[in-house]
Amino acid sequence: MEEISHLPIILIAVPILMAAIMIFLRSNAGAQKALNIGVSFVMMLFSFILLWQVWNGGIQVYEVGEWGKYGIILVADLLSSGMVVLSSLVSFLALLYSLDYIEGKSLSSSYHSLFNLLVAGLNGTFLTGDIFNMFVFFEILLLSSCALVVANENGGVTKISDKMEATFKYLVLNMIGSIVMLIAVASLYATVGTLNMADISVKVSAMSAAGTLPWHIYAIALLFIVVFGNKAAIFPMHYWLPDVHPTAPSPISAMLSGVMIKVGAYGVLRVFFLIFKDAMFLLQPIIIFLALATIIIGAVSAVGQKDVKRLLAYSSVSQIGYVFLGIGFGTVYALAASLVFLVNHAIAKSMLFLTSGGIIHHAGTRDMTKMGGMMKTSPVMSVAFLIGAMSIAGLPPMGGFIAKFVLFDAGLLAEYYIPIAIALFFAVFTLFYMFRAWLLMFWGEIRDVEKYGEYSSHGPSYMIVIPIVTLAALAFVFGIYAEPLIALSQAIAEQLIDPQPYIDAVMTRVVR
Amino acid sequence: MNNTLLTLTIALLFGIGTFLMLRRDIIKVIIGLSVLSHAVNLLIVSTGLFDGTKVPIITGDGHGGEASGTIFNDNLVDGVLAPVVSASTHVDFVDPLVQALVLTAIVISLATTAFILILAYRIYEEYGTTDIRELRRLWG
Repeated sequence: MEEISHLPIILIAVPILMAAIMIFLRSNAGAQKALNIGVSFVMMLFSFILLWQVWNGGIQVYEVGEWGKYGIILVADLLSSGMVVLSSLVSFLALLYSLDYIEGKSLSSSYHSLFNLLVAGLNGTFLTGDIFNMFVFFEILLLSSCALVVANENGGVTKISDKMEATFKYLVLNMIGSIVMLIAVASLYATVGTLNMADISVKVSAMSAAGTLPWHIYAIALLFIVVFGNKAAIFPMHYWLPDVHPTAPSPISAMLSGVMIKVGAYGVLRVFFLIFKDAMFLLQPIIIFLALATIIIGAVSAVGQKDVKRLLAYSSVSQIGYVFLGIGFGTVYALAASLVFLVNHAIAKSMLFLTSGGIIHHAGTRDMTKMGGMMKTSPVMSVAFLIGAMSIAGLPPMGGFIAKFVLFDAGLLAEYYIPIAIALFFAVFTLFYMFRAWLLMFWGEIRDVEKYGEYSSHGPSYMIVIPIVTLAALAFVFGIYAEPLIALSQAIAEQLIDPQPYIDAVMTRVVR
Repeated sequence: MNNTLLTLTIALLFGIGTFLMLRRDIIKVIIGLSVLSHAVNLLIVSTGLFDGTKVPIITGDGHGGEASGTIFNDNLVDGVLAPVVSASTHVDFVDPLVQALVLTAIVISLATTAFILILAYRIYEEYGTTDIRELRRLWG
């Protein structure tokens, strides 16, 4: 069982290797498809094995290059491996979906290669234990997702000039974000002299205990709010999201909304609760305020949208606010609730974006006011969208209900009454805009849609239906039988609040 | 970080970069981003021990232990947090890690700049202009 301990590096290295191989296979589309599906499935199995190992055997530390404390390390604790499971599940299903959805020319030339780089970036961000490597993996994520946003889908519903403009906004804002992150990392390095997150944590605690915590630790913490807030699209930095997520092809929208914006939440959970736990008294009110502003802005903007994918994107802005609200409360139960919310939103929103891709190809337009009466012509999509809408809105049999219930319960137990009241009020908006969208698209008479049925080959083919049905089933299962997810989230939250096992696992190794 | 000239240069580059990023032309925005990333690179270099004469080569036994208080000797009990070594400590070499970080950052900023330049060219082809105020098809 020696090989099994190399799982963290395999989860990063194999997708990067595949990205190179896919470039060489670009004349052979069939081989690319088969290889990428196979590798993606195996990666998903590996991520489950990693989670199982960490759950049973404690935190796993993998040294890349054996330079001891000064080298690059990968750390798989419950949070990291759980996020890797989520990302590899969503990316496998999105890949399966995109085989039939993305235009053939785009698919065979660069799509598979870039998709593998995206997966490598996600896994690397989640698994790394080194703050500068987190920056490097952020850049891998950023560039590959930018290139994937401009990929063409079948049917050409979205104009290429729209994609260019959206990608330009995304790239400029995220380049500013990475510049801010470099400033923060450099300042942190100048202050404590290490890049290893566990080592930084030890030194910051030592300085805090000695009462010599320099004031610029707080400034660095605020810079990290900008960085991760930019990734997660919370309130002042959310303007790129409603442009980028709708114009991307639907499987990429599912990846962006399902997993990519969770990278910001992961960064806050990892960096703030490990490094800046002595500054949390200052950061918590800021995070709660930004989260509430995000909830309000997202929900209010989503109400009036005509474009189905833009509505879903604004809904993502609103929902990530709830995740940050749980993080801002900062108790164990609230962190667990926020993680439950994160998982449920990832599943439901990925499914909704995949479904919206089917709907758009069926109707030939993204304008909801032109659709109508699609209940009869595409029953699968209508049921899937209904399940997603119920989960996002938080209606009882679905996972979203459990998530919202646990989050509000945690907030009430922590005695944050006013934030909970505001969040509860704007949760009603969610109910309104999701069901308005469902009624506009599926209920009533068939309205003046140009292309009904023209893309029927991209309607309910197996490649498109299987991912949607799988995710819908997951959203349903997490609502009916939520105990394992809540238990896992509780364990993760306990590890986050008390990072001593993490620090011990990283620091107690032989320095060469 | 007590090199006043270096600090002033970094501040000036940040100012120029921010000014250029607020212009209307796409190309000027991109140049502003590159200037900003160079300012950050200088900032990273300046965070290491940096006095202009030493090199990042370890001469003699640099590895921790009872050696002459080098960078690898971070000792929490004595309040020594490398690379912020106390002023009395004798240091033989420049911190090599910041230079590795800057190399990585330069390569990454090269890649992003190449991508964004190609994107700007395609935007010029699609829209026929490089004025940011004309790029508002996605408003709303």
